[in-house]
Amino acid sequence: MAAPCVSCGAAVFYRIFLGGRVSLARRQGVWKAAAAELQIGAGSQILRLRHTTGVTTKKNVAALRRETYTVEFIKKQIEEFNIGKRHLANMMGEDPETFTQEDIDRAIAYLFPSGLFEKQARPIMKHPEQIFPKQRAIQWGEDGRPFHFLFYTGKQSYYSLMHEAYGKLLDIEKRQNQLQAKGLFSENTKTKDLIGSRWLIKEELEEMLVEKLSDQDYAQFIRLLERLLTVQCGAEEEFVQQFRRSVTVQSKKQLIEPLQYDEQGMAFSTSEGRRKSAKAEAIVYEHGSGRIKVNGTDYLLYFPVTQDREQLMFPFHFLDRLGKHDVTCTVSGGGRSSQAGAIRLAMAKALCSFVTEEEVEWMRQAGLLTTDPRVKERKKPGQEGARRKFTWKKR
Amino acid sequence: MAASSVKAARGWPVLALGVRNRLLRLPGLTQVRWSRYGPEYKDPQIDKEYYRKPLAELTEHEKDDLELRKTQHIKAAPATKTSSVFDDPVISKFTNMIMKGGNKVLARSLMTQTLEAVKRKQFEKYHAASAEERATIERNPYTIFHQALKNCEPVIGLVPILRGGHFYQVPVPLADRRRRFLAMKWMITECREKKHRRMLMPEKLSHELLEAFHNQGPVIKKKHDMHKMAEANRALAHYRWW
Repeated sequence: MAAPCVSCGAAVFYRIFLGGRVSLARRQGVWKAAAAELQIGAGSQILRLRHTTGVTTKKNVAALRRETYTVEFIKKQIEEFNIGKRHLANMMGEDPETFTQEDIDRAIAYLFPSGLFEKQARPIMKHPEQIFPKQRAIQWGEDGRPFHFLFYTGKQSYYSLMHEAYGKLLDIEKRQNQLQAKGLFSENTKTKDLIGSRWLIKEELEEMLVEKLSDQDYAQFIRLLERLLTVQCGAEEEFVQQFRRSVTVQSKKQLIEPLQYDEQGMAFSTSEGRRKSAKAEAIVYEHGSGRIKVNGTDYLLYFPVTQDREQLMFPFHFLDRLGKHDVTCTVSGGGRSSQAGAIRLAMAKALCSFVTEEEVEWMRQAGLLTTDPRVKERKKPGQEGARRKFTWKKR
Repeated sequence: MAASSVKAARGWPVLALGVRNRLLRLPGLTQVRWSRYGPEYKDPQIDKEYYRKPLAELTEHEKDDLELRKTQHIKAAPATKTSSVFDDPVISKFTNMIMKGGNKVLARSLMTQTLEAVKRKQFEKYHAASAEERATIERNPYTIFHQALKNCEPVIGLVPILRGGHFYQVPVPLADRRRRFLAMKWMITECREKKHRRMLMPEKLSHELLEAFHNQGPVIKKKHDMHKMAEANRALAHYRWW
C-alpha cells in the first residue's frame, strides 16, 4: 500500500498552490469592500487624497512577464485537480463523489496547518479556474483574419455586449409600439427586489469579459441596463439578472441571547458590551421597576453626570420600556463615558431577547447594537501626538 | 496587534469590527484622514417616531429607504445623542462650542444655568407685566434660544479672494451650516470678551440671548455690520467664480 499512498500524496501536494506564487485572478476580499462602496453610496467625505509618486523600473525578468497558459495546460491542471480531489477524499475517509470545495478547504487546513497571518499565503487547493487568470485565446485564424467582426474596435466583447443589449432594447420597444398600436398595451410596473441586489462592479465586468474597460464604458453599460429595466419586459429579465449580484439583504447577524431563568422563575438575559477599554456585562431581568445597579451601587451614585445616565436610559426609552426592567451590571476599565457606552451596548444586546425581531432591527438602525470601533489613535514618531505635528520652525 | 498594524502598513484587509485598513482606492494617492468605520457605514437614525410610523403612511421613497437601510451597516450612536425629547441638536452644538479642553460637564452645566436664567428673567417680566403684555412674553427658553440664534444669522458673508497680489473682501452667499456656526461663534466670543471679570457666563449669555431675541444687542449689530460691509463691497462680487 506504500506506493499508491506516496503517489496520491504527491498528486495532492502538487495540486496545492501557495496563494502568493500564482497571482489570484480575483482578490475578492479586497475589491468587494473597496469597490462595492463606490457602487452603493457616497464616498467618505473625510478623505483628502495626497498624490505620491512610486518608483517604477522596467525589468524583463521572467517572473514579471505575463505568463500565458495554454488551453491544454489548463485542461491538464483541471484533470489533476479532479484526481487530487478524489485522492484527498480517500485520505480523509470521505466519499469522493460528494466532496465539495468546503470539504477540500477543511481537509487542507487539517493536513497543512499554517500559522501564517496572511490568509492568502496559506496553502490552498482550488479549481484551476479560480487560480489561473482567465486569458483570451488567439483571436485570429491562420490567415491572420480575426474571428470576431468587432475585433478592430479593440474591445470586442464589450462592444458586442452593448450591441446585444441595445438590440434587445430596440426589440422590446418595437413590440411595445405594436401592442400600443393594437391597443393591448398594459402598464405593468412590477418593481423587482432591487434592494437585495446591486449592479456588478467594473472589476467584475472586466473579469467577465476578460477585457480592460474604462470608467465611461462601464457607466454607459450600466445606463443601458437601467434603461432595459425601466422598459420592463419579462423576457429580458434573465439577461439583466446576469449582471446583478446579491447584497447581504439584512445585517441580521445579531446574535440574540437565549433567555435564562433564575430560582424565582424570573427570566433574565445576560450580555456583554465594550467601548474603548471599558468592558461591561449586563443582566437584564424581565420584570422590574427600572432599578439599575452598577458594580453593586445605584446608577445615580455611580454616574453623577446626567449624560451618562441618559445613555443608560437610551435603549429602554427607545423601546418604551423605561420602568419595566431591572438591570444588574458590572463594568471595569475605561473612563466614565466609555463605561456608560459599554453598559448601554450590553443592555441593548440583552434586551434583544425580550423584544420582537422588528424592534431588534430598529435598534440596529438606531446604532444601539453596534460596538463602537473608535479607539485612541496611536502617537506617531516625528509628531507630537496622533495628529499634532511639532512646531514648524523656518530655520 | 502587530500583525494588524503590518497589514495596515501594506494595506491589506483586516477582518474585525468593520475596521478599515484597506487598499488604496486609487493608485498613487494616499489617504490622509480616515475613520475607523468603513465608508459603507451609514449614520444611525435615532428618532423614535420614525420607526413607529405605520406602513400605510409611508411614501414610496420612504419605503425604499427602509428596505435599503436593512442592507446597510450602521455606525454606533454617539454618546451625546439619545432618543429623549429633551435632546436638541442646536443646544448640543452650542454646548460643544462653549466647551473648553474637553470639559463637557462644565459646558453642559453652564448651558443649563443659562437656560434657567433666561426662564427666570422671563418669568419675572411676566409676573410684572399687565394682562395684555403677558400674551406677548415668550417664556420657553428653548424657543428664545432658537429664535435668538436665528436672528443673529448673517445672510451674506465676506470671503478674502487673492487677485493681483491683493486680498479683496468679496461678498458671498453663505451655506446654512456656515450661518448657524457664525451666529453661535459670535454669540460666544461676544460673551467671553465683553463681560465684566466677575460676571458669570450664564448671566451674560442669558442677557445676550434675550437681547438677540428682541433683535437688539451687540451680536445683531455685528450681523448688520457684516451686511453693510458686503453691501459696500458689492462691486467686487464678480470676483467670485462659484
